Amino acid sequence: MKKLLAVLLAALMLFSFAACGGKTNTDANTNTDAPAASDLADIKAKGKLVIGYTEFAPMNYYDADGNFIGFETDFAKAVCAELGVEAEFQLIKWSTKETELNSKAIDCIWNGMTIDNDRFEAFSISTPYMANKQVLVVRAEDADKYTTAEAMKGVAVVAEQESAGETVITKDAFFAEASYTGVVDMATALKEVKAKTAEACVVDYVTSIGMLGEGTDYADLVVVDSLSFADEQYGIAFRKGSDITAEVNAAITTLVNNGKLAEIAADYKLTEQIIAK
Amino acid sequence: MDFSVVNKMLFEGSIGQEGGFLHNIELFAVTLLAALPLGLIIAFGSMSKFKPLKLFTKSIVWIIRGTPLMLQLFIVFYGPGLVFGTPLFVGAEGRMKAAAVAFIINYACYFSEIYRGGIESIPKGQYEAGQVLGMTKAQTFFRVVLLQVIKNIVAPMSNEFMTLIKDTSLARVIAVVDIIMVAESFSAKGIIWPLFYTGLYFLIFCGALTIIFNKIEKKLSYFKS
Repeated sequence: MKKLLAVLLAALMLFSFAACGGKTNTDANTNTDAPAASDLADIKAKGKLVIGYTEFAPMNYYDADGNFIGFETDFAKAVCAELGVEAEFQLIKWSTKETELNSKAIDCIWNGMTIDNDRFEAFSISTPYMANKQVLVVRAEDADKYTTAEAMKGVAVVAEQESAGETVITKDAFFAEASYTGVVDMATALKEVKAKTAEACVVDYVTSIGMLGEGTDYADLVVVDSLSFADEQYGIAFRKGSDITAEVNAAITTLVNNGKLAEIAADYKLTEQIIAK
Repeated sequence: MDFSVVNKMLFEGSIGQEGGFLHNIELFAVTLLAALPLGLIIAFGSMSKFKPLKLFTKSIVWIIRGTPLMLQLFIVFYGPGLVFGTPLFVGAEGRMKAAAVAFIINYACYFSEIYRGGIESIPKGQYEAGQVLGMTKAQTFFRVVLLQVIKNIVAPMSNEFMTLIKDTSLARVIAVVDIIMVAESFSAKGIIWPLFYTGLYFLIFCGALTIIFNKIEKKLSYFKS
């Protein structure tokens, strides 16, 4: 009886493993039949572009009535309309965006992504369309305190790990003597300053527009106006070697020429940041 | 932000972010429903006298218990797309399914060890007694042993149940919108308190579990050994 049970269980297990294996195998086969080389053909075939985003104002967010809006939301919809596909927005975790893209869970990262050398190497990146900078955020009472490199000596500074802000802190002479800790995201960086576990944080200017100010818990935090670091540019990331990047670039040019991009930027008060020509 | 609005969003999510605590509960229920029986099957496998099966099952249990659940979530969800170029789980529902698969396998392995401990705690004499009375091994197991096993494993199981409801929030690493992820989206809008407030949801849920398990223990107390 027991042996019979054992054999039965073994068979069951083998079967379940075979079932899993079978599925992935057929998937792999269909994949080789239609080479991954043509992302564009894939996307046109399914009729939609899956856009990975994280929710933050003014880029991708919901208004009071529950409508999904934001600069990137409108911009992506306009580009997709040019391409003749539907824009599907998929909420992701920023920390796993590369894996999301490479595993084809999403087709692009389109969420105010700063172009840097690593990303330039790892992805196929669109024409830069928006300028941004990194800024220092401190508690309002400290606004005049942290303005020189000497004043930063030993001061606890935080930024999102792997972010452009982190690069600024580790490279810029202003932060040479500061004590740096990387945290999981920008919201946590602000939280640290608010909770006084850190004195200052370096965040992305465009991102911080929606997080600071009236009506938020960070109303007592301010951007140090006299300082700004690393002027940078936003781009859309596609899979390395993807053939859709060129199509998207062409669509962006069209939107610049017909004034559509300028209109969208004006809606979110980002006109000055637009650089796509 | 209005308290009741935040509560509603934490509990059931919002447009574009469906989920919230309902997703935690869903993942909790689905995991238990599948992992409780699967765990028993794995327990039989690791107690088998058939050496290859025993070795195989024990290796699986070792791998699953020996690696972080977070890593397993990544492997289940991203693995197929990264290795074979075609994702196995597609769309927002796909994420929930991937999380369920990872949780079920993980918890089944933990449950299997609890079952094994429970089954092996029953003295051999009871099987012998069953044999003397003319019962088959299966009859002895289901009529004599199993209920005692259940009684013995109630306490360690209650531990696992509580760990499970708290672990469900880990699914947010593959963007399953759970209560903590909703709370984090509040943080991104500059509102901090919902994140800490989520603790109350888990506290209440675990409180209910404690009461239920106390009742079960009382019900089974006629088995004083």
